[in-house]
Amino acid sequence: MTGTMENDTLSIALSGRIDSGNAQEVEAELMAMLDQQAHGSLVLDLKDLEYISSAGLRVVLRVRKREPQLKLVNVSAEVYEILDMTGFIEMMPVEKARRVLSVEGCEIIGRGANGAVYRIDKDTVVKVYHSSDCLPDVQRERELARKAFVLGIPTAIPYDVVRVGESYGSVFELLNSRSFSKLIAADPEGMDTYVDLYVDLLQKMHSTHVKPGDMPEMKAVALDWVHFLRDYLPAPQAEKLVALVEEVPQRDTMLHGDYHTNNIVMQNNEVLIIDMDTLCVGHPIFELASMYLAFVAFGERDQSVAVNFLKMPYETACLFWKKALAKYLCTDDPEAVRAVEEKAMVIGYARLMRRTIRRSGFETEEGRATIQLCKERLEELLDRVDSLTF
Amino acid sequence: MEIIKERNGNDLVLKLQGRLDTTTAPELEQELKNSLPGVQALTIDMEGLEYISSAGLRVVLFAQKTMNRQGSMVVRGAGPMIMEVFDITGFSDILNIQ
Repeated sequence: MTGTMENDTLSIALSGRIDSGNAQEVEAELMAMLDQQAHGSLVLDLKDLEYISSAGLRVVLRVRKREPQLKLVNVSAEVYEILDMTGFIEMMPVEKARRVLSVEGCEIIGRGANGAVYRIDKDTVVKVYHSSDCLPDVQRERELARKAFVLGIPTAIPYDVVRVGESYGSVFELLNSRSFSKLIAADPEGMDTYVDLYVDLLQKMHSTHVKPGDMPEMKAVALDWVHFLRDYLPAPQAEKLVALVEEVPQRDTMLHGDYHTNNIVMQNNEVLIIDMDTLCVGHPIFELASMYLAFVAFGERDQSVAVNFLKMPYETACLFWKKALAKYLCTDDPEAVRAVEEKAMVIGYARLMRRTIRRSGFETEEGRATIQLCKERLEELLDRVDSLTF
Repeated sequence: MEIIKERNGNDLVLKLQGRLDTTTAPELEQELKNSLPGVQALTIDMEGLEYISSAGLRVVLFAQKTMNRQGSMVVRGAGPMIMEVFDITGFSDILNIQ
């Protein structure tokens, strides 16, 4: 019997068979380990467990009495069936063993910062993450995608988290689609159709209610950003910035977090949204802020940044943003649109400034120039903007 | 894949046999577009279904969304492999499975 500690969790692997012949021994060994090794919670890794009888299940029950947070992981199909039949899956968290997939011979259809996307059959892909440390992120993204999907948000059908060699991967439907960025770049005259579809989906998302605790709260994240900037902005501005974010009401409606035209795709006349790892709940102003960054602020000092990112001319991106914002707000009045745009800009530049500073922005000319731009914009905006809500 | 239709007034039962994947999903989609107008209760019988892929799931979703607007839908007879796909993908939370 081997045990490993990770953070505060003791993980003990059980192998072979546990039945009336050896249950007492197994229990004694287990309890001894629990006595010897200080820990916060216990996980039993059942990867190599072939069979467990009632006697073995009784041992698990007694361990559970002692360790209320007990979790069983890497459970094989046969053992899972026993745990299901006997009601154990309702008594404690039980995780099935992950499917093992091979990507040998599979076509790579995309690469990102985190990993590569392989096509594993006609309509399925697996996004394999470079590092196995990514598991919590992989699971989190998949959980978010599934929650959104079940709530009716049109997105790629999410499957399960699998083992791929030493890494983990997330299996998804393969979309036969083109991003809105590509569609608009190919047909700039047809922009208005895409604006309408883009805004429709955004409004749908922003009116979808999420169960408390299911998704992170954007307001808390934004507060982190503005608190960080206390060290970098003149005190009155920093104070006002924090107060403005504090004042934004809590919301339980969904936000995507990265709603730009690379992440909205069209498949067979159906609009779908991809990249669900920034899903959260909150006031729409936070969404508008990240959209402003993507379409306008990123290319502000150097248009090629925006062009490389969105693959469309900068003017097109800015025009798309303006039209989308007007449509979203259901108004043609340029002043009304501008007023909301400025609120979005406050949060947008705050985020950009913090991000640049944290990525060693002060050490490069590029970084310093961006930080300076954000500072100037914030100074100007904070003088005029008295509320972030609309 | 074979689709067997049983129409009873405003009730429609579609029995699927074989595989519902990228090649056969368009057939089912077309069949739904043709037959669903006027249907108030749709049953999709999956007892004869061996396999379902994302493309198949998408068509089932299309049927569910259509029936959400005009009545109700039930899926029955899904075997353990199909049920597993429904569980993994969250479809078991979206469909009415008997």
